Amino acid sequence: MATTSKELEARRTVRPVGNIWEEDGTVMLRLEMPGVSKNDIDLRVENDQLIVRGTRQVEDENKSYVIRERARGDFAQTYTLDDTIDRERIEAKMERGILTVTLHLKDAVKPRKIEVKAR
Amino acid sequence: MNLIRWKTPGFDPAQELERIQQEINRLFDLDYTDRSMGLFDRATSPAIDVVEEEDHFTAMCDLPGVDQKDVDVSIAGNVLTIKGEKKMSTRSEKAKVFRKEEWAGSFQRTLSLPRSVDPDKIQAEMTDGVLRIQLPKREEVKPRQISVNVS
Repeated sequence: MATTSKELEARRTVRPVGNIWEEDGTVMLRLEMPGVSKNDIDLRVENDQLIVRGTRQVEDENKSYVIRERARGDFAQTYTLDDTIDRERIEAKMERGILTVTLHLKDAVKPRKIEVKAR
Repeated sequence: MNLIRWKTPGFDPAQELERIQQEINRLFDLDYTDRSMGLFDRATSPAIDVVEEEDHFTAMCDLPGVDQKDVDVSIAGNVLTIKGEKKMSTRSEKAKVFRKEEWAGSFQRTLSLPRSVDPDKIQAEMTDGVLRIQLPKREEVKPRQISVNVS
């Protein structure tokens, strides 16, 4: 792609909507990003922040639109990660316009069952 | 919104400023939640774009998370119908939900096509959660270039 990072910065962004839930020692993010292909996803962790950016293919603005209702702009959102998230184990998957990010909780914070031994 | 009594005489700038301040404070107090319900924002009919090009129309429809086999594009007369169902993402019963904005359910959208569209040549495909429908125009309405030979 010929877009420079500066150009990207200037583009309008919208927050992707989605679901966030915790289950079985993982925090799952499911974000709706229609029109964003797997290669156009930029997902990174910087310090305590998880930065998600999905670049949409720009439609030619000069085309003659008969109906125009879809939202425009790239998807971007930053989430703050707390100490319970294992930064080294983050998985992501892009499927049918939905980005699924799996964040694993650190083993130390997972509930652990301590066996009581009977004497 | 409060009803503010219309004051006829006397305009007090200090009071006006105070009123603006109150108004702004109230805005901050509002429990502002993003009302957006994803790309199915428009109740149960997804947003659509239609672009006209020289020899065809392209209709684009955002359907994130919708399986290709759950989308049904049909045409009757000159009415194009996009119908489908978005399934709820699966998660276990004991999951702790922090945010739930994704929408699930069935949706439908109809479009009246211009007469120039040839209903027999419509093609649809899904990529990255976007449904793209190609609606070619009839041969007879396509702009044609006739070359004139100058002898």
